[in-house]
Amino acid sequence: MRTFTNLLKTELKLNIRNMNMVIFAVIMPVVVLVVLGIIYQSRPAYPGAEYTFLEQSMSAVCTISICAGGLMGLPIVVSEYRERKILKRFQVTPVSPVMLLVVEFTIYVLYALVSMVLLFPAAACFWGVAFRGSWPAFIGSWFLTLISTLSIGMMVGGIAKDTKIASVIASILYFPMLIFSGATVPFEVMPKMLQKIVGLFPLTQGIQLMKAASLGLAVDNLWLPVAVMGAVAIVCTGIAVKCFQWE
Amino acid sequence: MGKAKEAIRVSGLTKIYNGKKVLDGLNLSVKNGTVFGLLGANGAGKSTTIECILGTRRAEQGTALVLGRDPGKERRALFQKVGVQFQEGDYQPEIKVSEICEEIACLYDSPSDWRELCERFGIGDKLKNAVKSLSGGERQRLFIVLALIPAPELVFLDELTTGLDAKARRTVWKILEDLKAQGLTIFLTSHFMDEVEALCDEVCILKKGKTVFYGTIEQAKEQSGCEKFEDAYLKFSDEEADA
Ligand SMILES: Nc1ncnc2c1ncn2[C@@H]1O[C@H](COP(=O)(O)OP(=O)(O)OP(=O)(O)O)[C@@H](O)[C@H]1O
Ligand SMILES: [Mg+2]
Repeated sequence: MRTFTNLLKTELKLNIRNMNMVIFAVIMPVVVLVVLGIIYQSRPAYPGAEYTFLEQSMSAVCTISICAGGLMGLPIVVSEYRERKILKRFQVTPVSPVMLLVVEFTIYVLYALVSMVLLFPAAACFWGVAFRGSWPAFIGSWFLTLISTLSIGMMVGGIAKDTKIASVIASILYFPMLIFSGATVPFEVMPKMLQKIVGLFPLTQGIQLMKAASLGLAVDNLWLPVAVMGAVAIVCTGIAVKCFQWE
Repeated sequence: MGKAKEAIRVSGLTKIYNGKKVLDGLNLSVKNGTVFGLLGANGAGKSTTIECILGTRRAEQGTALVLGRDPGKERRALFQKVGVQFQEGDYQPEIKVSEICEEIACLYDSPSDWRELCERFGIGDKLKNAVKSLSGGERQRLFIVLALIPAPELVFLDELTTGLDAKARRTVWKILEDLKAQGLTIFLTSHFMDEVEALCDEVCILKKGKTVFYGTIEQAKEQSGCEKFEDAYLKFSDEEADA
């Protein structure tokens, strides 16, 4: 435990000093919220809807930070440490690979948490966004989305040979998911055809689940998104740990 | 585990890179509490030997036992007691001296006091500086400090004083001698024969992955008929070129 907190403290400091994630995982979601807030104000999601457009978008905005951490931050940090032989230095110490992965994982959990904690009060304050659903259900689906996305990142970082490959794979995953899962462009405004395709991303499933939980809507087929995300999390984490390479 | 008499035992170590034998059936034995020097020209296979012993590279053949353990199988238990300084150390881009020391220290059950180590190695006033802002020699000293943080029984130092000034080299020798007196076993590589002569109890001279001399400094001088160890070293590592 002492090892974990110490490593976490140092790695978190380094990560913040680097600023990339502060920008992409903390500032950017706020910017998106402000833009959506200015455009939609407190207009309802659709004529006659009980909730506003902004209330409906909150879940998606919360996942911007998850995407940034899981699909850019995490894979690049892990592969960079491998390329720079920092992992090799850790290899000749008693630390376990799982410990190192969990430390990096936790850093991005913290970013996502900070982002969410900023977004809801800001939205409530400026645009009167109310939380209509169940917090436990929302946190549960948020957490599931978080771990499944981060585990994808951990797997990419674990198997990519170097930082270049990791950033290519990361971008291939990051940009489509960010734009099409409903994180930046709301799912509801997409054409039906596109909705079907992006429905395959685990992130889309997560956002739909979070949205239902935050708006207090009923979910039919609850098990489907849960199963998809759970499976992704287990498989990717398994691969990341099994195939971990120090060098 | 009781104290084995041998800190390192290597037998028949063979490493092949791209079809070329870089190490060829190497045998080594390092006794507890001694200083062992692995010598040889650039590319002779010194760093490769260290990496194969530590298990960071897989050898094609042969075995290495470190403190009686197999580094591949008992990595975590073994490295509680073994410190390593690689020839090329890298570090997180933005990290500070105190942070890198703390990060390494927290991995061990009973680490040494890293502030004191930094002080002894003359970088005590640089703790708040970024590692990348250190001079080459200061960084080298930092990496020796990192290898000593575990309070090891055995330490591997690959080119320990490369880039150090004359005074710093003497300081490092003095510290290593003190640690040796406390029972530390040291496995080092070096291109400075004065240093090898000052520190090493036994040396092995490698040439293209094969042992061309193995024994004490005195034996090296005797066998080669040279008065100075440096001449003896050159004679051994050049033998075939003369023939
Ligand atoms: N990853 C690798 N792939 C292919 N060849 C390698 C690799 N690493 C080392 N070699 C080769 O193995 C040989 C031994 O290298 P090694 O680094 O062990 O030499 P060394 O004795 O430590 O030299 P130096 O004094 O320059 O540090 C060299 O010819 C080198 O080119
Ligand atoms: Mg070398």
